[in-house]
Amino acid sequence: MRVPSIPAADFLPLVPAIILLVGACVLLMTEVFLRSPSRGYQAPLSLFFTGLAGAVSLSSAFEPARPVFQGFAAQDPFSSAVTLVVCVALGLAVLTSSGFLRSRNAERGEFYALMLFAASGMSLLAMSTELITLFINIEVLSVGTYALTSYLRRGTRPAEAGFKYFILGAFSSAILLYGAALLYGATGSTKLSEMAVVLPAALAAQPALVYAGALLVAGGFAFKVAAVPFHMWTPDVYEGAPTPVTALMSAGVKAAAFAAMIRVFLVLGKGMDPSVPLALFSGLAYLTMIVGNLLALPQRNVKRMLAYSSIGHAGYLLVGVAALFVTAEAPAGDGFRFFGATPLLAPGLSEVAARADALKGLLFYLLAYTVTTVGSFGVLAALERSEDEPKGTAWDLDRFAGLAQRRPGWAFAMAVFMLSLGGVPPTVGFMGKLLIFRSAVDTGLVGLAVVGVLTSAAAIYYYLRVVVAMYMRPAPEDERIPVTLSWGTELALALSALAVVVLGILPGTVTDWLQQASTLWLGQ
Amino acid sequence: MVPTSNYLLLAAALFCMGMLGVLVRRNALVVFMCVELMLNASNLTFLAFARHRGDMTGHISAFFVIAVAAAEAAIGLAIVIAVFRSRGTLNVDDIRTMRH
Repeated sequence: MRVPSIPAADFLPLVPAIILLVGACVLLMTEVFLRSPSRGYQAPLSLFFTGLAGAVSLSSAFEPARPVFQGFAAQDPFSSAVTLVVCVALGLAVLTSSGFLRSRNAERGEFYALMLFAASGMSLLAMSTELITLFINIEVLSVGTYALTSYLRRGTRPAEAGFKYFILGAFSSAILLYGAALLYGATGSTKLSEMAVVLPAALAAQPALVYAGALLVAGGFAFKVAAVPFHMWTPDVYEGAPTPVTALMSAGVKAAAFAAMIRVFLVLGKGMDPSVPLALFSGLAYLTMIVGNLLALPQRNVKRMLAYSSIGHAGYLLVGVAALFVTAEAPAGDGFRFFGATPLLAPGLSEVAARADALKGLLFYLLAYTVTTVGSFGVLAALERSEDEPKGTAWDLDRFAGLAQRRPGWAFAMAVFMLSLGGVPPTVGFMGKLLIFRSAVDTGLVGLAVVGVLTSAAAIYYYLRVVVAMYMRPAPEDERIPVTLSWGTELALALSALAVVVLGILPGTVTDWLQQASTLWLGQ
Repeated sequence: MVPTSNYLLLAAALFCMGMLGVLVRRNALVVFMCVELMLNASNLTFLAFARHRGDMTGHISAFFVIAVAAAEAAIGLAIVIAVFRSRGTLNVDDIRTMRH
C-alpha cells in the first residue's frame, strides 16, 4: 500500500487557519477553567489571534503559487489576500462585539470562539482546490455562522433568522454537493486540477452531465454570495442576526465564497467554452445589481437597507467575475451580445493581463466593501437598543435623526461609510467601483458597466437618506442616547473610517500589492 | 448486476423529492429531513459513480459528507428547538416576524 508523504512545507499555508482554530479552542477553554465573572479579556484575546493570523497571511502573501497536499489545496497570493480580508473583517467585528454583547449581558466565550471557527473555515475555503475539501470548508464556516446568527436565542428574531439561514444554507450546500457529485461522475476526479485536464474529453462524451454539474455548483455558490434570484434569505437573516455577526457575514462569508467560486470556475472554464460562464455570470450580475438596488430603495429600516445593498454589491462583484471569462478571440457565433457590444478584449490587452486586472479589482472591491460595511454595521450596533428589537424599530431611519448633534463622531463615520457604499469619491468605495467597471469596459462588457454605473447612481438616493436624517433632521425629544460606550466600538469605527478615507485617497500601495496577489494556482 | 444508471436515476429522484419537499412542506422538521434527503442523494451519486469507475474517491467523499451531515443535524436541531421555544410552533408559515 502506498502511503502518501506530505512534506512539512505543505502545512505552512494552513498556519493562519490553525492560529484561528487554536485561538477558538483557547477561548472555549478559558470559559471552562477561568472562574472570574469578568469577560473583558475575551475580545482582546480574540483580537490577538486574529492579528496574528492576519500577519502570517500577509508575510506569506508573496510566496510563489504552488499546490499543497497533493492538489487538495493551493498556496497562492490570491488565497493569502482573501485570508487577510477575512482577518480584517473578523478583527473589526470582534471590536464591535464587545460593547454589543456587554449591553445585552450575553458576553460569553463561545461567541468569539464561533467567530474564529467560522473565520478559519473562510480562510481554508479560499485555498481549497478539491470539491470535497471545498464542501467541508463551506460547512465549517456555515455551521459557525448558523450558531452565531441564533446566538441571542431568547428573542424571536434571532431564532427565526437562524432557522431561515440554516434551512436555505443547508439547501444550497446540498445543491452544490450534488453538482460536485455529477462533475465527479463526468471527470472521475474531485481535484480541480485533474478535472481541468479531462474536462474537454468529458464534455465531448457527456456534455449534459458536465453542464448540469457546473450549473448546480454555480447555483450553490449563488446562494452563498446572495446573488439574485437566490437572495431571498439575505434580508431576513441579516436583520435578525446580532449586528456584529451580520457584519462578519456580509464581509467575510462573501469574500470567501467569491474566492471559492472564482477558483472553481476559472479551472472549469479552462475545459469548457468560456462563453458559458461568461453568460452565466453576466446574467447573474445584471439581475443582482438591478434587483438588489431597487429593493433597497423603499427600505426605512437601515439594517434591512444595508442587507439589500449587500446584494447590490454582490452584483458589482459579479461584474468583475464575468470579466474574468472574456477571451481574446471572438466567441463562436454572436449569441452573446450585450447592449450591442461584443465581449472582447480591448486592443493591446492580453488575456492574462485582463484577468489580472479583473482579479485585482475584485480583491480591492472585497477589501473596500469589508471595511465600509463592517463600519456601517458597527454604527448600527452602537445605536440600537435591545428593548426596541421585539418591536422591530431598533434600526429605523428615525433613530438616526439628529445624530450629528448628539454624537458627531458616529455621524461623521456613518456619513463616510454611506458615501463609500454609494461610490462617491474620495472614498474607497469609489476606487473599488472604478477598478471593477474599468476592467468591465476593457473586456468589452460595456452593458454591465453601464448598468453598474446607473444602479450606483440610484443607490446614492438611499444612502444619502441616512446622511440627511443624521445632519438635517432634529433629534426626537424623547430620544435617549445609548449609554453603553465601549472602547472597542469607538476604535472599530475610527479604524474603518480612516481606512475608507485613506484607501480612497491613496490606493496605490494596496493596489500594487493586490496586482501581485492576482495570481492563482490553477493546475499545471 | 444492477446497472449504474439505475442508481443514478434513483439518486436524481431522491434529490428532486428532497428539493420539492423543502419548497412545499410546511413543518420545519420535515423540511430539515428533506435537506438530509438531498445530501444522501448526492452520496448515492458519488457511490454509484465510484463503483462504476472502480475509484475510491467517491467512497471517501461519502464518508466526509455523512460526517458533515451529522454536524449540520446537531446545529439544525438546536435551532429548531430554539424556534419552538420562542413561538411554540414549527409551521414555517408562522415563522415570519420580519416582513416589510
